[in-house]
Formats: sequence, C-alpha cells, structure tokens
Amino acid sequence: MIITGAGLGDYYRKRSWQDPGGMAEVFAARYDDKILARHVRHGAEGDELAFLVEGIRCATCVWLIEKIVADLAGVYQARANYGSHRVLVRYDPERLTPARIFAAVARLGYRPRVLTRDNLHRAAEAESRDLLLRFGTAFFLAMQLMGYSLALYAGYFQGISEFARDFMQVMAALVTTPVVFYSGWPFLLGAWRGWRSGVPNMDLLVALGVLAAYFYSLYATVAGGEVYFETAAMIVTLILLGRLFENSARRRAAAGVDRLLHLTPDTALRLEDGREVRVDSSDLRPGDRILVRPGERFPVDGGILAGESEVDEAVVSGESRPLKRGPGDPVVSGSLNLAGALTVRVAKSAAESFVARMADLVEEAQARKAPVQRLADRLAAGFVPLVLALSLATLIFWLWWGIGVGPALLTAIAVLVVACPCALGLATPTAVLVATGRAAGRGILYRGGDVLEASAKITHVAFDKTGTLTTGRPQVVALGTAPGGEGSAAPTDRLLALAAAVESGSSHPLAEAIVTAARERGVALDGAGAEQSAIKAVAGRGMVGQSPEGRIIVGSREFLARQGIIIPSVAGAGAGAVAKERTTTARASGARPGSAPGPDLPPLTEVHVAVDRRYVGVILLDDTLRPDAAALVRELERRGLQLLMLSGDNAGVAQRVAAEAGIGRVFSAIDPAGKKDIIEQLRSQGARVLMVGDGINDAPALAAAQVGCALAGGTDIAVGSAGLVLTRDRLGDLAPALALARRSLKIIRENLFWAFSYNLVTLPLAAAGYLAPVYAAAAMAASSILVVANSLRLSR
Amino acid sequence: MLESTIALIILSLGLGLAAWLAFVWAVKKGEFDDPEGPKYRMMNDDDDDR
Repeated sequence: MIITGAGLGDYYRKRSWQDPGGMAEVFAARYDDKILARHVRHGAEGDELAFLVEGIRCATCVWLIEKIVADLAGVYQARANYGSHRVLVRYDPERLTPARIFAAVARLGYRPRVLTRDNLHRAAEAESRDLLLRFGTAFFLAMQLMGYSLALYAGYFQGISEFARDFMQVMAALVTTPVVFYSGWPFLLGAWRGWRSGVPNMDLLVALGVLAAYFYSLYATVAGGEVYFETAAMIVTLILLGRLFENSARRRAAAGVDRLLHLTPDTALRLEDGREVRVDSSDLRPGDRILVRPGERFPVDGGILAGESEVDEAVVSGESRPLKRGPGDPVVSGSLNLAGALTVRVAKSAAESFVARMADLVEEAQARKAPVQRLADRLAAGFVPLVLALSLATLIFWLWWGIGVGPALLTAIAVLVVACPCALGLATPTAVLVATGRAAGRGILYRGGDVLEASAKITHVAFDKTGTLTTGRPQVVALGTAPGGEGSAAPTDRLLALAAAVESGSSHPLAEAIVTAARERGVALDGAGAEQSAIKAVAGRGMVGQSPEGRIIVGSREFLARQGIIIPSVAGAGAGAVAKERTTTARASGARPGSAPGPDLPPLTEVHVAVDRRYVGVILLDDTLRPDAAALVRELERRGLQLLMLSGDNAGVAQRVAAEAGIGRVFSAIDPAGKKDIIEQLRSQGARVLMVGDGINDAPALAAAQVGCALAGGTDIAVGSAGLVLTRDRLGDLAPALALARRSLKIIRENLFWAFSYNLVTLPLAAAGYLAPVYAAAAMAASSILVVANSLRLSR
Repeated sequence: MLESTIALIILSLGLGLAAWLAFVWAVKKGEFDDPEGPKYRMMNDDDDDR
C-alpha cells in the first residue's frame, strides 16, 4: 500500500509533466531519411512507407493518425491497421520525405518505428506486459478495497463508530488512488488525446466516470458522507480485463500474418556468372537467376529455367498433392521444392511475390473492419457532450434554485457518476465470457465478443472446397483391373497389395493413401513380399520394387509407357465400372444419393501398376468429402442460411464436390483475391457472411468476411485470420457454434435492456436530486447481479 | 474499534503486497509472455530448445 501509494503516484506525476509534443525531435534524430529510405517501396503511384506506431490505445487513435498523415501535403493515401498497429502511407517522393511523416506522427504523441519483425514482436510484448501489470495491480488493490467497502456498507446499515468509518474511508482512498492513476492511466491518456483532438471517445467517458466517482469520494472522505471508491476501482479493473482479452486476440491475429511472411526464406542462392552467392531475398530483382535446392521453399515468384522436380503448392491451392514441374513452369513463393534442384528465373521481387501479397490482402481486409469497431466511439462522441451538458444544466438549475454551491455540485457529480457506462459495460463481456468458455469446452474457439455477435447474425455461409468441405488429402476412390487378368479370386485386392508393397516405405501422400486403402480392405501388405532394399523411387514419376512375383512397377502412365509396358485403354473399357464405384464411395462418405458425377468425369490422379511387363491395373485417387459435410449443409439450410462454395479448382471438380455436399451456388476457378471480392460484393449487398476456409489462399476471404472460420488443421495464417476456430478439426462443429452464438446474442440483448433501463431511470432521478448516492450504488449492484446471473444461464 | 481488527487489516495488506510483488516479479521475468507455448513444448523431447 505504501509503495503503491507513494511510488506509483510519483510515476503518474512524472508522466503528466511530459509533454507528448516534445518527443518529435527525439525521433527525427533517430530516423533520418537515409535510414528510412531502406524501408520505402517504390511504385508507379508514388512511394510506399510502412511503419509501426507505438501508443495506439483505441480505434480513435488509428483514425486520428490516419487523418493527420493523410492531411500532410504530398500524401496520396494513409491507412493504419488497428490489428497490427501498422501504418501504410503512399506519397509523392517529390513533395514529402519519410522523416517528415515520422515527425508528424511523433508530434501527436505516438512513437513511430521502423517496421521490422523484431520491432513488431518487441512492441507487442512490451504492451501486453504493461497491460498485465496494470490489470494485476488493479485486481490486487480492488480485492483489498472490497474488505473496506463491505465494512462501510455494514456500518451504514448497522451503525459504526466515527473513528472506524473515517479509518476505513482513508484506507479505501489509499488503495483506490493507484488503481485510478496507475492502472487507469491508459484511459486518462486516451481521454486527454481525445479531448485535445476535439474528438470525444469512449476513453473520455470512462475517465470522466472514474474521476467523478474518485474525486467525489475524496471530497466525501474529508467533508463526511458516503464514499464510492469501489465504483471507480471496479470500472478500471473490468475494462482492463476486457482490454487484456482483446490484446491477446489481436496478438494472435498479427502472429498469423507474421508467420505467413516467415514462409519465405530470408536468403536465396543467386547465380552470378556461374557462382552461387547467398543474398537477402529482398535483394532479388526480376531477371535474376536463383538456385532452389530440394527441401527449400521458393523465396519469390518465378519461372523454372532448368531442372525437374515435384512441388508442393499447398500454399496456393490448399491441397497437399505434389505437382510435377519442369522448365517453363511457373513457381510461387512459399511453395516447397520436394525432389530436385531447380534453377529459377525471378519474376517478381520478394515484396511483390505471392506470400507478401497475401499478407497485404489480409491486413487490408482487417483494416477495413475497423469502421465497425469505431461505431462505439462515434456513439461516445455524441453521448459524452450530452452527459456533460446534462450535468452542467443540473448544476446551473440547482444554483438558480438556490440550494447552495455544495449540494448543487454534488447533484451534478451524481449525474456524472450515474451516467457512467459501468452497468452497460458489464452487459456484453459477462455473456461473452460465459459463452466463449462453454464453447471452448466443445471445441469451438471464439476470438472475441464481436465475433460471437457477428456469428449470430449470419445470413450467408461460404465454404472453401479443398481441405474444408473435403479432407484435402487424396484417397483411393476406385480400382480398375486389366481385362483378362490371372483370374485370381479378388483382382482388385491383388492390385492394391502389389502397389502397397512397393509404396509402404514412402511418405508421399499418394503412397500413404494407397497403403491406407490396402489396410482398410484387409489386404496383407507382405503378400507380395517386396524386398524393401530393392525398392527404388524415381522422383515425380513412380517406384520400382522387386518381389517373388517379379519386378513391380508403380507410377504414372508415362512412367510405365517409358518402361515399354502397353496400357490397355482402361478408361474406355472400365469407365462404367469406375463411375459405379465412385458413386458407392460418395454415398459411403455421406453424400446424397443420386448425386452421380456429371457427364464430364473430372480428372483423377491415376496410379498404374505392372508386374514385369504385364499390366495389372490402375488405382484412381481423389480428394473426398469430409464425412460430416453433407449433414452440416442440410442442417444449415434447415436454419435458412444461404450457402455457397468458393473454389480455385476448375468448374468440373467444383461442381461435383458441391453436388455431393448439396450446395447449389458454386464459384469456381477463382484466385484468392477473387474470393475476397465475392465476399465483399455480398457484404455490399447487405449479406452477413461467414467464410469457412483452411488454406493460405483463403486468408484474405476469411479476413474480409464478417466472421472467418477456420478448422484447427488449417494453415497458421488461416487460423490467425479467423475469428472462429473449430479446434477439433470437425466441420460438423459449426452448427452448434452458430446455435450458441444466437443464444448469446439474445442474452446480451436482454442484459443491455436491463442495464440501459437502469441508466434511463436513474439519470433523471439524479438530476432531480432525489437519488441519494447510496441508493444509486445499491441499484447499480442489483442490476449488475441481474446481468451476471442472466449471463450464467448460457453455461447450462 | 478493536485493536485486533487493525492488526488484521495490516496483516491482509502485507499478504496482498507480497502476492502483488510476486506477480510483478513474474511478469517482469516474462512468465506470462507466452501462455500458448508450454502446452506444445511439453511434447518436445529434446531439452536444448528452452
């Protein structure tokens, strides 16, 4: 108590002397144009500077920085991101220098910083530590305060000696002071900034309520009367708790973007006159030639000059099936080179390559969300002057009435205290806390109250195809045996056994699928008796193994053809049989009956098998529907939601999967930006969209939708951009998640109704001077208990 | 007011202060920086990455 009372109060005084405007010179000195020039990106429409701003507390700060920077002469566009505290400025290099942009931001009292991954991380860490310290301090002191407050309450009703009351009041004042001035410092600072810039915000309202309760109680301690220190301390503690949750959710979102950027390697091997030189990826320029070894990711977008390999383009398509790539084929940054060394001609610099563009799209979509968050501040902008005016009017009225300065002042303060949004503030967070806790137990993670609220109002649900509606992993869907086989009992089993025997040692996704299928059918894996040591893999083509039966060859059509094996036209002869088997597997995976594939059979992956020179048959593999997809689609349709599917695949594949799942509206062959555009178009038509996706290519759409939903098995960036995460990787969990959101919204509305009625009734009473503060406090407690009890109903 | 009451108040303040100091120490040490990590780190067998 002594330490906090003296030490932290001192901290407050130090801070209050510091004029925020004085920091401008400090930063101008540290960041001159020469250093900043390295962080400028040159474009056709002016230069771009991205930087980090420290000290952003609220959505209004973001708005303010944007406005001030945009007003500088020579700035075309300025956009600040509330999620990551990054600011992106596009400006005319002729008329403005980066250092002057920094100086303008520093003059506002914020601290601009060069944007490096390290800086971003350190700033976020420092901020969350600071917030945690402030909350922890407030919490410990509030617990002490509770004891004195209870004693004072009891004393009010049962009688208390003069000395005991004064002692308790002084103790309460001592523990409340650091809560208001240390823990509540962010609000006071935010309120001061809002006041100075002429834009009243939520912070101003909170600060006003806290300071009114605090100073009134301080006055009452000296002059005699009832004190309300616990009101001030409670507001600060609860709002800090809310900020703490918000902060951790924001950090996770930013971490997703950060991890996406880490997908591309920081350095690359550049070929200069036949020598290999390791350079920074950011130094690569279009036209450079680089060497990408197997196991490495491509640092930039480019085209293959020499070499052949398999490339895992899960980054782009969400599908983990490796694709064959050779000279002339394009490669995308972030995708993984699996098999052979490739010489690549750089097509785009690192900052303009696929991964960087994805990160930009996500951040852009997150920034666009901010206007909704600012709504609360806009409301506050109207509410604050209203309350101030009412309070002032009350003061003037009672002075004119002639009851004396002291009582008139107390009545005016009572209006301020009663208008404090503390009861309203409790209404939403308690319901959100209970609902998210309950959801977490069922494998549903809601990232915040806004997500919960938005989920309850959804009208459209958009699904990604690969990895979301489907499993994203190839599975054996059909087997075709060569006509006139050996006449063994089960030719398909033999086919699988042969293939599995060779493939069992491989970690290739196709091989794993074949081995799994063989196990599921109970085919003895060692039946063919292949010697593991004799198995040879030919990258990107197939595998060869030795067994008692002969030399087993498993691989693509070309691979077998090159070995001189004649492949009978199975596709023609066995098309009927293949189609028949497809429908059976589709039905088995839960699709509606009658959703047979259309006339144009979509391309499947073929794996051909031969023993010695005799052709045995073909195994067809494809990505299949998740088992719970069709049931979920029916359930969501029953609730009257509009469903659509967004796929990067061609129309044939997309239509088939949509038909199996039962989704009518399909958008096919669209790129990541196209997915985002469709979502934004729907939103502009008034739809409230929930997007379900799992890949990096879905991240912009996830961020653009009102609610982004990712499955836990998805990529980091998808989980990071999503507000709703299904942690058990089960698509079917979406239905209970939405049901819970709807119930929560109903409870929140009830809570808001009660809380608002409380303010509506008490405000005029306080203005009329009828409300003795102790009754106001009792009413406040009663309404709070009502709200909390109502919220707890969600846990049942 | 009973002297014992005052003694109890001072005792509770002392206890609260001790808890608060422990909390501040833990935050400063970075104990709360990564609440997500430990549950995954538990799965790691190698001990060198601490």
